[in-house]
Amino acid sequence: MKTVEKEIGSILSGTISSITQRSIFNRLGGLATTPVQQLTANDRATIMQELESSVRLFARSNSSQLIASCAKALTPGPGSGPMGTASGGGAAATVPMTPKKFSIEQEKDIATARLEAWSEAVRIGLSKFASVKVATAVSELARNIVFYAGKGSVELRSVKDDRGILGLQIIAADQGPGIPQAKLDEIWAGTYKSQRGMGKGLVAVKKLVDDFQLDTRPGVGTTVTCVFKGER
Amino acid sequence: MEQELPIIQIRNCLLVSIQTELHDRLALDLQASLMERVRNVNARGVILDVSAVEVIDSYITRILNDIGKSVRFMGAECFIVGIRPAVAMTLIEMGVELDSVNTALNLDLALERLELLQ
Repeated sequence: MKTVEKEIGSILSGTISSITQRSIFNRLGGLATTPVQQLTANDRATIMQELESSVRLFARSNSSQLIASCAKALTPGPGSGPMGTASGGGAAATVPMTPKKFSIEQEKDIATARLEAWSEAVRIGLSKFASVKVATAVSELARNIVFYAGKGSVELRSVKDDRGILGLQIIAADQGPGIPQAKLDEIWAGTYKSQRGMGKGLVAVKKLVDDFQLDTRPGVGTTVTCVFKGER
Repeated sequence: MEQELPIIQIRNCLLVSIQTELHDRLALDLQASLMERVRNVNARGVILDVSAVEVIDSYITRILNDIGKSVRFMGAECFIVGIRPAVAMTLIEMGVELDSVNTALNLDLALERLELLQ
């Protein structure tokens, strides 16, 4: 079984010097020598966070592509061994994911959820552009939870549409104050202005996604369910 | 963890490269220290490099617009440079405007435009 260090090292070699690689792996501590198959979702988020900032700083070119390949390499595939190399030609991977749920309580949880959503989107075969949209939508929804409800959760699952193509479903739920109807009307009309956000988060998400459902009850909580469809 | 974004001065411009998550506190600190520096060094322009930022949502957009507005109030111009193509397309789809700042493809072009303003 390949360790994180071996797997990531082979991707970064040639682009990031071995000295810099060493310091990246040192910062990861025990995670660097963990076999890729044994990583938990949290481990992956920690590693990707570290990689993201380092790769951006040190890579001579193409940092986002490198980060995407790292995310792919760290995500367990159907079997072990090299993944994604055989398919090629831009064919979408058709590996469904096991649902993942993240609790959202502080601002740093927003970044974690966003990163996980982004790497899952890449993994199930969404395009680079669509993956950025996914990450942005998760960012908006998680931010709403932190700002207005205090805590809640974001869940990611892969869903097949009627064409049999994998897409990503995002469920953002909280037991916060809910949104009263009057405020909701203002939000959709675009006239609502909140203190901290722009009051545009929900509108923005609705425009980004292919399917959008909002269930909100004052005093009970809010659940937003949305779907990004796969292409082709 | 306390952090502060470094502000670099290039001639009469201030440059900030955003390499980290912009949360509430950090954004407010940045806005305050930028305004202070604009006044102290008589800056003509402020350039925010976001080329390392992979995701810009409506909240970050608001922060950027706010910084742009406050810089403009001080009589300087604010440029956002290095917005990634996927980020730009996402902002358009969301219907979010970056209307209180100028944008330029990169640092070089922003500096060039600021010199033309002299």
